[in-house]
Amino acid sequence: MSKYYDLNDILVEDEVVSTVFHHKANGVGYLDPGSEDDNVEKGAVVELPLWLAQDLSRRKIIQVNLPPCFGAKVRKEVQADPACVNLRSKCPYFYEMGCKLADITGDPSLGGFLLSTLRGRYRDILCKALTSTITSTPKFMTLLTQEETHLFEAGRDSMRTFQKWRLQGPQLERAPILGRKRR
Amino acid sequence: MAGQGNAAASLFTEPEMEFLGEDETISIIPNVRLEAVQLICGDFGPFYPQIPVKVPLWLGIAMKKRSKCRIQPPDWMSVERLAQVLDDEREAPREFQPLPFHYVEISRLLLDNAREDFENNFMVQSLLEDIKDVRWDKVEAGLKTLSTRTHAVKLKNVSAMEVNRMRNFTVRALQSFYKHDSEDLVKQTGLESDSQTTSTSSEHLPRRTLRPR
Repeated sequence: MSKYYDLNDILVEDEVVSTVFHHKANGVGYLDPGSEDDNVEKGAVVELPLWLAQDLSRRKIIQVNLPPCFGAKVRKEVQADPACVNLRSKCPYFYEMGCKLADITGDPSLGGFLLSTLRGRYRDILCKALTSTITSTPKFMTLLTQEETHLFEAGRDSMRTFQKWRLQGPQLERAPILGRKRR
Repeated sequence: MAGQGNAAASLFTEPEMEFLGEDETISIIPNVRLEAVQLICGDFGPFYPQIPVKVPLWLGIAMKKRSKCRIQPPDWMSVERLAQVLDDEREAPREFQPLPFHYVEISRLLLDNAREDFENNFMVQSLLEDIKDVRWDKVEAGLKTLSTRTHAVKLKNVSAMEVNRMRNFTVRALQSFYKHDSEDLVKQTGLESDSQTTSTSSEHLPRRTLRPR
């Protein structure tokens, strides 16, 4: 419940996952665009938002399939070079969603995969966050998921404010002398 | 609750750190006669010309700006001491040399406002700059070794400004590692048979040597 007011958490739960119905469900045909009457047949594949899938799978009504962003293809890509994979385009809430899905689907390798992904990408984020200059908005940021973006911004912002603090005030007046010294 | 996450994470801004650093005492040589001043942080003075006296940094700088005193450079800001610190700093790649907690702020304030009181002010400044860079390099190297099993980081002798600079990033990184690590730990027992995970867990091995810091 602690995350109840967390906007990001709400957005994570709005992501769509594909699910398979274990039972026939009456009166909820609107969930499945392919259904002809008002019912969802047993074994039908339906796309549901995560918040609904979470609840239904807990009651064993549906089974959740892993979305393609956690599939074998992406895993191979990430294993090859974690830092270069564009996870944002695959799923902006990669980690948060992965944690929730690991719970629902019971996939034992998912937790390890998330962890190794994070570890592989962490160093790159670190280096880029601490060296990014005041003006540049690197295109590297387009590769990052939401969580990584926060991490990156945290690092970059504290570097920036520090630079700003050092360059402000009377030091600006002293610039020509400093320039002479460097020569 | 919502939306305050980012702002709350950074507790201090740099000007605030500077403000805190201004409470350190420094010795000045007044050139006016003045009665003792009574401040919340204590009584300072009385001031007699040419008699050194200890005051808070902010008071020293305020008097310096009105040319009522000369600032005595602190011991650690002499060229010899700084050169020594820089050497030690370079020799010990994992340790930080003891310097005043607010050394970044103090040195900046002094060099900004009382530059002419230092004999070798260019030398002092460039030494401080070098020390700062070497130390920050160590911080960065330390951050790189942050990994899954790191739940806390021990850093001795790190200055206030350095802590403040790395605070946001470190806290966030540790948080996400912790989150995913615990998620992982739950499943660790069932992992062994999976071929996918054997490849990743063999990846774990070289990293684990980094753990004892």
